[in-house]
Amino acid sequence: MENCACNTCDAATKKLYEKAKSERIDTIWDRALAMQPQCGFGEMGLCCTNCSMGPCRIVKISEDGPKAGICGATEDTITSRNFARAVAAGAAAHSDHGRDIALALYHAGDKTRIRNEEKLFKIAGEWGITVEGKDTVQIAREMAERALGEFGKVFGKLQFLQRAPEKRIKLWDELGVAPGAIDREIVEVLHSTHMGCDADYRNIIRQAIRAALSDGWGGSMIGTELSDVLFGTPMPKKVEANLGVLKKECVNIVVHGHDPTLSEAIVLASRDPELLELARKQGAEGINVVGMCCTGNEIAMRQGIPMAGDFFQQELAIVTGAVEAMIVDVQCIMPSLATVAKCYHTKLITTSPKAKIPGAIHIEFNEQKSLEIARRIVKDAVMNFKNRKVEVFIPDDKSEGRIGYSFEAIIKALDRVTNSFAHPSGTVKPLVDAIKSGVLRGAAAIVGCNNHRQPHNTCHVTLAKELLKRDIIVVTTGCGAHACIKAGLMDKDARKYCGKGLATVCELLDIPPVLHMGSCVDISRILVLLSEVAKYMGVDISDLPVAAAAPEWMSEKAQSIGLYAVASGVYVILGVPPAVTGSENVTGYLTKGLESVLGGRFEIENDPVEAAAKIAAHVENRRKRLGI
Amino acid sequence: MTLFDIIFTGSRQALEAAKATVAAAVEKKGSDARVAFPETAYSLPTIYAATGKKIGSLGELRDALSIVESLIVPEQNLEKALNAGLATALSAEIIEACKYAVEEKPYSEPCAGFISDAVIRSLGVPLVTGDIPGVAVVLGEAPSAEEAAKIIKGYQNKGLLVFLVGKIIDQAIEGKVKMGLELRVIPLGYDVTSVIHVVTVAIRAALIFGAVPPGNLEELLKYTKERVPAFVNALGSLSGLVVSAGAGAIALGFPVITDQDVQEVPHYLIVQKDYDKIVPTSLEARGIKIKITEVPIPVGFAAAFEGERVRKED
Repeated sequence: MENCACNTCDAATKKLYEKAKSERIDTIWDRALAMQPQCGFGEMGLCCTNCSMGPCRIVKISEDGPKAGICGATEDTITSRNFARAVAAGAAAHSDHGRDIALALYHAGDKTRIRNEEKLFKIAGEWGITVEGKDTVQIAREMAERALGEFGKVFGKLQFLQRAPEKRIKLWDELGVAPGAIDREIVEVLHSTHMGCDADYRNIIRQAIRAALSDGWGGSMIGTELSDVLFGTPMPKKVEANLGVLKKECVNIVVHGHDPTLSEAIVLASRDPELLELARKQGAEGINVVGMCCTGNEIAMRQGIPMAGDFFQQELAIVTGAVEAMIVDVQCIMPSLATVAKCYHTKLITTSPKAKIPGAIHIEFNEQKSLEIARRIVKDAVMNFKNRKVEVFIPDDKSEGRIGYSFEAIIKALDRVTNSFAHPSGTVKPLVDAIKSGVLRGAAAIVGCNNHRQPHNTCHVTLAKELLKRDIIVVTTGCGAHACIKAGLMDKDARKYCGKGLATVCELLDIPPVLHMGSCVDISRILVLLSEVAKYMGVDISDLPVAAAAPEWMSEKAQSIGLYAVASGVYVILGVPPAVTGSENVTGYLTKGLESVLGGRFEIENDPVEAAAKIAAHVENRRKRLGI
Repeated sequence: MTLFDIIFTGSRQALEAAKATVAAAVEKKGSDARVAFPETAYSLPTIYAATGKKIGSLGELRDALSIVESLIVPEQNLEKALNAGLATALSAEIIEACKYAVEEKPYSEPCAGFISDAVIRSLGVPLVTGDIPGVAVVLGEAPSAEEAAKIIKGYQNKGLLVFLVGKIIDQAIEGKVKMGLELRVIPLGYDVTSVIHVVTVAIRAALIFGAVPPGNLEELLKYTKERVPAFVNALGSLSGLVVSAGAGAIALGFPVITDQDVQEVPHYLIVQKDYDKIVPTSLEARGIKIKITEVPIPVGFAAAFEGERVRKED
């Protein structure tokens, strides 16, 4: 970190950071700077606090320091335990999200609250739920029960594992990593990483893989699929992005967090004529709901709600002075928001019993009374419009992009290039042909968070541009998606960054070269797409010319995502090293050894240009292996 | 071999053939000998449109080989593959130009060889009005004369302009397809390189009707893609050279429909093994929609038959 604390390529972020500075408000960058230097033992994963004999640390830099913890745990044991616990926490976060969606489906109550019957029937078919003679609500309830069972069923494997290619399913079975019940796998990691339990780093990572797979093919996939059933499957639409989407003359409501049950209800409530009238009475022109982080992605994908910003921009949204209410639920919500909000009129409203913040107003949300509660929250925001304190400053930076690329939307786009006399429709064939012919060299996913260890957004954007010019199509989710749309990479104009092959594909399919596939749980959509392509080609996911990268990752969820991608056969580049570098064995296992076991592996590379070169090399290597 | 490698190999073969042909022509006529296609103001139209240079002699033609060579860069991406396809087109033009430099009359009945500017100008209006809804280039060999005739007549009935290259010409004659400019079926030649004579039709359309400045390759390719509704049917076994020529067609924006097993390219390279479906597949691929009023009469009915002469023996 250099002296200039705010290291970003985004203009709006820079401007608002300056405003925060002038108003003496500390933001993420200032706190990161104050934290320097950070603890080397923690950074390398060599610190263990799992029992009260500790904390213990392994000293690597000198000969005479301790080489084992008090219990005798080695650096291999300690780093792998720390990593496994991070993965379990990440899997737990996604899975609890999935559980809430399943509960919302269970309580849907009437048919009008299920917006995508087609998908409901499709999943019912997949799960062997009979639909004859049952009404929609009944089927939904039965599916929700089955989904909830996935979290704690006693026997059997996860339902959605069946979506993987046959070879992958077989491999998981052989390795003993096919997850049973989601909660069970997470508990098992916590058990085996308890003091005096599992000390074999390979076995500890094996447990972590089960937990991670129970996220990707369990919790996250349930979250995505059932969200689609409840709120509709995303289809292409235009949206605006960046903090410039806040409107000075309107009541601005920022929804931030992850769970779409809350944000969807807020969107509905904001369109209520009574509340709109109330807003006008307060002197506002209307109610402007904008989204932040993943819940922002969810309502952008489905409702076209503007994407206000990413993880690092949450405090800055309040610094504009134009936010009447920031409504949050769970995950990636900085507790500092309460402190920042106090300097303005902004009401920070927490809604989940799982995530309260001292200094925030807590209005508990529940799925059964969602609209009622949402109306109350929106009303609070409207009544707060008159209380603006400081001069409002909304940077004029915003960009536009086309988003909404669910798996289903991608298939629909691919149908544009099928010839009705020569080809079937509704398949991944055109994508496979584009890849096999070499028009597209491969595909890469850019996902993940923001992290002060990497320049904000720069890594996401640079990596994406480097891949596009090599004819590698990019899919993105989460805060990677926010970075890409802000940089204009979801605009038609972004074809100028592409090689001839990718530009041609974009033109024929009428798509941007970077496809926004949704929130972080929606990475499950990428798993579905990879599986369908692999199945169509008759190969495993690990054979495909594809890769993933999390250039600015920070959360435990990102570690779970990274590991389930690796365990699904994907080559995954991390821009920030996980806290395992204290053990050569564990680092070597994750970055090399796993490939011979699972076909996927991690790579640590903080330079996005280098990362792109590595992805391109991997892609070409896989092409060669496939003979294409 | 990857599809791109097949294209690069074919392009190199075409280049080698062009080099040998030019060398033989120079040997025979000397490097100052005149090179020109008959009745055109556009010199060698492909080279002229791509580079802005007019070629007057065999020596200049020999120099043009380096342009072709520079276009063949065997890197695995679409841009380089399409450039290699264009290189094949240039090689074909060079080979065909040598034929005209060396021989007095390189083409004879039924083959037309080079198409004159006057003919292109006469085709311009019906192309613009949509009276000629598309241009079909059928090359290679159908499994039988019957299949060949069915495909060619399929286009002829819909008023398309059809160019034939290769053995399909004999099959068309055997299949009793009536040919000639006025009937909109034009056999070009038996060598695959004679396909360049339809390419120059498209290119001269861009120069004449599109006023594309010579040397502006990008604008040329944009014009042919957007304004010349052509496509290619490549029938029978495909040599690397034909595949690389196909890449040239794709570079011009023309889809290729073949009956052979090749790696398909969405929208641009389509496999259709059902001969009854080649016509509709091709029309859909090029986005050609035909306004037709089917008149239930026992003979072919289309503008293509307007210039037909009924001879005594008919």
